[in-house]
Amino acid sequence: MPLDLNVIMGQINDMAGTLDSDEQARRFDALDNAWSNLDSVEVNERYDTAITSFLLAETSEDYRGTTPLTGVPDTYSVAASDGSFILPDRHAPLRFFLLNTSTVYLKYGAGSTAEISTLPDIRYQEADLIVPDDPQRTPIDGTILGFLRAIEELKAACTCLEGREGATVALQDGTLVLWQVQGQSDLVKDWILEQFIDVLDEFRKRDQPVASYISAPGATELMNMLRVAVCDYPEMGKAIDCKHCRSQPGRVPTCDVLPNIPDRTLLTQIAKLQPGERTAVYHSRSKIMRDYDRDRTGDQKICFFYLNAGREIARVEIPRWVAADVDQLELVHSVIYDQCSLGRGYPVVLQEAHEAAVLSMSDRRIIEVAIEQALSNVGIMPLHTGKDGSKRGRFV
Amino acid sequence: MAVSVAVSSDRIHTGLRLGEVIETTTAGYWAESDVLHQLPPLGALVASTLPDGRRNYGIVAFGQTGGLDPSRRAIKRGNDDLTDNAIYDRHPELQHVLRTLFRVASVGFKEHSRVRHSIPPLPVPLHYSVHACAPAEVAEFVMSPRYFAALLRHHGDIAAEDMLAAHLRWVDELLNDNHVWLADATRRVASLMKRDYDRLVIVLDSVDPD
Repeated sequence: MPLDLNVIMGQINDMAGTLDSDEQARRFDALDNAWSNLDSVEVNERYDTAITSFLLAETSEDYRGTTPLTGVPDTYSVAASDGSFILPDRHAPLRFFLLNTSTVYLKYGAGSTAEISTLPDIRYQEADLIVPDDPQRTPIDGTILGFLRAIEELKAACTCLEGREGATVALQDGTLVLWQVQGQSDLVKDWILEQFIDVLDEFRKRDQPVASYISAPGATELMNMLRVAVCDYPEMGKAIDCKHCRSQPGRVPTCDVLPNIPDRTLLTQIAKLQPGERTAVYHSRSKIMRDYDRDRTGDQKICFFYLNAGREIARVEIPRWVAADVDQLELVHSVIYDQCSLGRGYPVVLQEAHEAAVLSMSDRRIIEVAIEQALSNVGIMPLHTGKDGSKRGRFV
Repeated sequence: MAVSVAVSSDRIHTGLRLGEVIETTTAGYWAESDVLHQLPPLGALVASTLPDGRRNYGIVAFGQTGGLDPSRRAIKRGNDDLTDNAIYDRHPELQHVLRTLFRVASVGFKEHSRVRHSIPPLPVPLHYSVHACAPAEVAEFVMSPRYFAALLRHHGDIAAEDMLAAHLRWVDELLNDNHVWLADATRRVASLMKRDYDRLVIVLDSVDPD
């Protein structure tokens, strides 16, 4: 059944009609005012007692502080990796999953060079298809495979940079915070985070900075910080308590005066972050950071800054040990900006890693056919499920 | 990283591997160069050896460099301060995402030590190597210019007369025989094209405009 465009067009018009430009202008004026009058010390004091329902950015620097680009090193190298996978399919004749991890190494300056490789890995043993040591025998599903892919990607970049000297940066696409482990059992969470943080620690041992790049970030931790800043509870002598505030009948929370926008819009339209500039380094107050802080020094926690990468405001995540080293922080800042310049707005090393890792429909079909042939060779005739068959041979 | 965008005369004249067949038909094949931007020149004689020992000969009919993935178009990378080879230094990944291809038109084969100037009975297998021909091998193949007729029937992006003219110039330069071979070859071309004066003039002008 085709999409009913008549219905959709009506809904799209209704959606556009909800954008009241006067109301938006008022909310952006309030935001401008909140940003201009922000008192970083007071925000941090409010944090001490605040009970909020959203994620907050935290820094001991000025929240509005910016750092310009200090220059790109003449010689540097950058490694990135990316991965794609084929999920275990209960309709397939064999249960397996495939991870395809690409690695790209680019060296700039004297002796510039490039290395691009991929490593496909099919896992099919029973032990590979369930979470190890799990009495519940939790199967490897799409979410867990996503974690395994993140680990393999990080390992690939780590291996690629082994023994490389000079200014090097490992770059990953997306976040270094495996947020979704919070929804998993403790066993799965520990299993995944231990492997992931072990690799991050390997970078730390080598003094090679690692970072991740998030294009068009949807995060609102800075905006939420402003919500704390404009809250009127402290003026009433009360600690900030979002749940309490929103449960008051007839009360319109003070922070609702701020527009519902991501941090990147704040930084573009209000803070006016210039090309090449980065914000202060912020720490996340999320609970998951406690799981990252395995050695209880805080160095393993992930922090972030925003960067005007030329075409967009990007979010860059780094372990705290990178942020604490001014030289490494500067290197990450400048390398990512240069990579975005070379890649017309997106790091070229990530672009090539993605291109190398992607599994096309044709690749997937080849694997499927190869498995069926392999089974036939050992005398097994693959049987397709009814649903799978209905998709292969569609009829009316 | 210095990127050579010129054909290496060493490779083309010493029988080294130039590339690999990636699409093949009886009439000819597409080969991918082993080295980006390094391909045999238009009109050059190249060869591939089949599993049974037969050697198929062809003449380079076209060359191109583009994205490895056809869905990714090349974009401008340079500016006033960054040009030519410096662009490749600044974008080292280009070595991996671009490729150079050349098209070869089949013109003959050698079987049991005998050279035949006709279309080979079998195409070169996919993924087989394409080699440059050593000068002695070229001399042996071009001794009889009976393959000119096949070249003149060739259909491709380059007009047959331009391809033939390029071949004549290439052989003449390689043999370095005071144009003895060229003089004989042009007489043979004139004979073949005696009813097509306009095209003949294109060939002759291209070989020696003076």
